[in-house]
Amino acid sequence: MGDIAINGPRVLFEIPILGGLPITETMRNAWIVMLFILCLCLFLTSRMEKVPKGKQAIAEKAVQMIDNLVDGTMGPGCRGFSPYIATLLMFSFCGSLASLFFMRPVTGDLNTTLGWALITFVLIIVNNIKYKGVGGYLKGFLQPIFVMAPLNVLSEVATPVSMSFRHFGNIAGGLVITTLLLAALKALSGFVLGFLPVPLLQIGIPGVLSLYFDVFTSAMQAFIFSMLTMSYVGNARSAD
Amino acid sequence: MELFQSFVGFSPWELIVTICNTLITFLIIKKFLYKPVRKMLAQREEEVQSMYSEAENAQTEAEKLRAEYTERLAKAKEEAASITKSATHRATVRGEEILKEASQQAADMVKKAETSIEQERKKAMNEIKDEITGLSVMIASKVIEKDINEDDHKRMIEDFISKVG
Repeated sequence: MGDIAINGPRVLFEIPILGGLPITETMRNAWIVMLFILCLCLFLTSRMEKVPKGKQAIAEKAVQMIDNLVDGTMGPGCRGFSPYIATLLMFSFCGSLASLFFMRPVTGDLNTTLGWALITFVLIIVNNIKYKGVGGYLKGFLQPIFVMAPLNVLSEVATPVSMSFRHFGNIAGGLVITTLLLAALKALSGFVLGFLPVPLLQIGIPGVLSLYFDVFTSAMQAFIFSMLTMSYVGNARSAD
Repeated sequence: MELFQSFVGFSPWELIVTICNTLITFLIIKKFLYKPVRKMLAQREEEVQSMYSEAENAQTEAEKLRAEYTERLAKAKEEAASITKSATHRATVRGEEILKEASQQAADMVKKAETSIEQERKKAMNEIKDEITGLSVMIASKVIEKDINEDDHKRMIEDFISKVG
């Protein structure tokens, strides 16, 4: 029964420079997901025609949907962010869904989500400074009164932290629960149906839960992360 | 022994790798999804635009042609009306002329006939006079059996006749 192990991402090997830079399972899976996204993009946009049909229609629909989402959340003139939002959506969704293919989800690693949140954080700061000026941005921390400054700074810093932990927590939580459930079902089937050579109860029940923890949560978190990025950056861009 | 990273933890190296991965994916999506799709959408929009402007041109042209044809038609109608009018006028004039000529001719003929009738009448009258004169002389000479001078008789009878007639 002591075989339940919930670990972080496995270290595949280490590059022996700077005291050993580990190549983790997360990185490998991320590269697989990137390769998949590259193939998907190439496939969807190959042999484009004037009259769209099939895969081309899907590609155009996807682009237009994300464009509309960006327009609706960030206001007009922000189409430049659309590819980045598409990147977040696809990378996050596919990275989470990797668990369906027996890979450790890419987003089940704090480094991944924190990396994205840091990009968002940088975008927020850059856009704030661009549209309000350094002084205007810093003055914003003194609103509504200067006493609030520490809290404002804290909330600003908390943005990437909360974003990354929300996404990571949801996926990692699903990972933990699925692992626990599998172990529990194995134990239960060994206890009740011990005469069978396979843990019968592991069939079916995890699939239903996986529908929630993998498919639904993946879509949900990808959407939430993108929406939050859009609204934060959109807020930063709206000069007031 | 397999090595594992901690379940909740982060390292700058892995963060950098994530950020690089994200940037690469961003470039992939931008270059291989957005660029071709945007290009295609722009192309289609351009085509629609050109089709619209073409249609508009065609409509303007048609409108122009229609105006031209209407004008031409009106002109043709006007011309036809004027032709009819002048023809009618000419016909009327010509008819009147013919009528006048005819009546003139008729009048001439009547006049000629009248003169010839008059002549005939005079001739007949003279003939009758002569005959009557001869007759009366004959009758008188027969009756009276007296030889009067024929010339005197003739004169007397002509007197008589002209008094009677």
